[in-house]
Amino acid sequence: MKSRTLLAVLTFAVALAPLLRPGTAHAIPAFARQHNTECSTCHTIYPELNEFGDAFLKNGYVYPGKPRAAEAPAEGAPAKPRSEGLWLAGIPEQIPISFTGTLNVTYDKDASDKDQLDLAARALRLQAGGAFREAAGFFVTYNLYSQGTQNGAVLTPNTNRPDIDELYALWRHALGTPVNFRIGRMEPKLSLWKRSDRLIPVPSFASTAYTVGRSQFSVDSRSDALEANAILGNRVFVAGGVVDRKGQNTKDGYGHISVKFGGTDLKGQEPELDLEQESVWDYLSLTLGGFYYVGRDADIAGLNGIGQNGNRFYRAGTEADLIYKRLRLKGSGVFGADRNPDFTPVRPAADNETHAFAFEGEYLFGAPVNFAAVLRYELQDDAVGVTRRYIPAIVYAPLQNVRTSLQYNYEVTPERRNRITLASLSFSF
Amino acid sequence: MGRIVVAFFLVALSSGLAHAGLPIVGRGDAMRLDPSGFTPQMKANYDIVRVRCVKCHTLERTIVAIKTGVAPISGQPFDRSATKAYGVKMLRKPDSNMSKAEVKAAVDLLNYLLIQAER
Repeated sequence: MKSRTLLAVLTFAVALAPLLRPGTAHAIPAFARQHNTECSTCHTIYPELNEFGDAFLKNGYVYPGKPRAAEAPAEGAPAKPRSEGLWLAGIPEQIPISFTGTLNVTYDKDASDKDQLDLAARALRLQAGGAFREAAGFFVTYNLYSQGTQNGAVLTPNTNRPDIDELYALWRHALGTPVNFRIGRMEPKLSLWKRSDRLIPVPSFASTAYTVGRSQFSVDSRSDALEANAILGNRVFVAGGVVDRKGQNTKDGYGHISVKFGGTDLKGQEPELDLEQESVWDYLSLTLGGFYYVGRDADIAGLNGIGQNGNRFYRAGTEADLIYKRLRLKGSGVFGADRNPDFTPVRPAADNETHAFAFEGEYLFGAPVNFAAVLRYELQDDAVGVTRRYIPAIVYAPLQNVRTSLQYNYEVTPERRNRITLASLSFSF
Repeated sequence: MGRIVVAFFLVALSSGLAHAGLPIVGRGDAMRLDPSGFTPQMKANYDIVRVRCVKCHTLERTIVAIKTGVAPISGQPFDRSATKAYGVKMLRKPDSNMSKAEVKAAVDLLNYLLIQAER
């Protein structure tokens, strides 16, 4: 009897063995889980996107490739184990949710609150996103908890303040056209890079993050918007939209255009190369972008939220992103003017003109990539005066979903010099 | 008792079943190809693949694509026209650290294996 039981258990164990074997180490946030692939498919070191990740984003979170290829296996291939009912309903088989936790340690020798070594900076963020049968999609980022997070170059102590950072729906290839529509709270498509699309996400590039006076507008700020965008000819991306700002009737408007030369195209297709001969162009890609934003904001404190002492403003920017093998260079320049950024009852005689530049170089190490060296220079000229920042940093990812970084922010403002060292650990799951 | 023993061996055999046209050894993450029947050139190419490609993904992913004719992640057809595109993708990916000659060797091997798999 014992031997029969033993053999039965053995048989059962062998039968189950293929189900129990450990797989390769996959990073597991929502998109990686959804497509059963690793973080490095779309990221150099997360959260920075590589060329394929950028194509995935521009394609509305649909895996770049032939239409419906991800849904319908090729003829003769084994069918994917999936629920037809869920597919017909457009419901993802897995709930596409992931979390990112961040722990920061800062050292500021000249901290105004005398707290030179600050361990109390942390954040937990929920992210969700995906496509519904390649026809629609959505993206959400929700700040579950944050404390002592860094805003620009300044550490702003703020205790637990949950809020929706992004929540938008998108309609892919509306009515069979190449045009996609996005509606909701989002970062309007202006810059080549989303705020999070960097090896060192804080601070954001000065050119996209700077604000003027009391106006809260920055190029990378989240807004309630309706946007149309499209990939044209595989290498051109255009976007335009309107933004609804609180306390006023008029809408802001914006436009973006970018062109990519060389490298993976915007639909994720690789370039045709000759594998017999070497050419510098095989590894080179250059993306040039430009944008314009014109808007109006106002002081909405009091008066039941009705805007008063309005401020008309514009921003115009041009950017470049160059990739050559493991080297990546980014440049961003933004010009702008604000009519009344301090919302004063008597408007200033002249516009407040501003400009900011950011240049960043990064080099990736390792195969697979797990280490990066970064150097950034920023110049910001606004009403306060000229501010310069020099930010060297190193980034190490022991696993694809775990990232550590160490950066030194040396900032020279008209009033003072700030020297802040920031160590950061973040993980996504 | 006899039926259980037979069932045990049947299950054990089925779990390691290999594709008839490809010399597959092992399974799962440990899946490999037996290059003993390859031409000398393809043996050399396989040496490149088994060292370079597994730095980022298992050989199982590649072998499944060859066996089924479908890339397991994208769901796109994996045929001779696709192998070069994958090679170019790996060439340009900093993670791979592969030279053009190595990528060409890998693409040649994939095309060779696709023919073997069709037999």
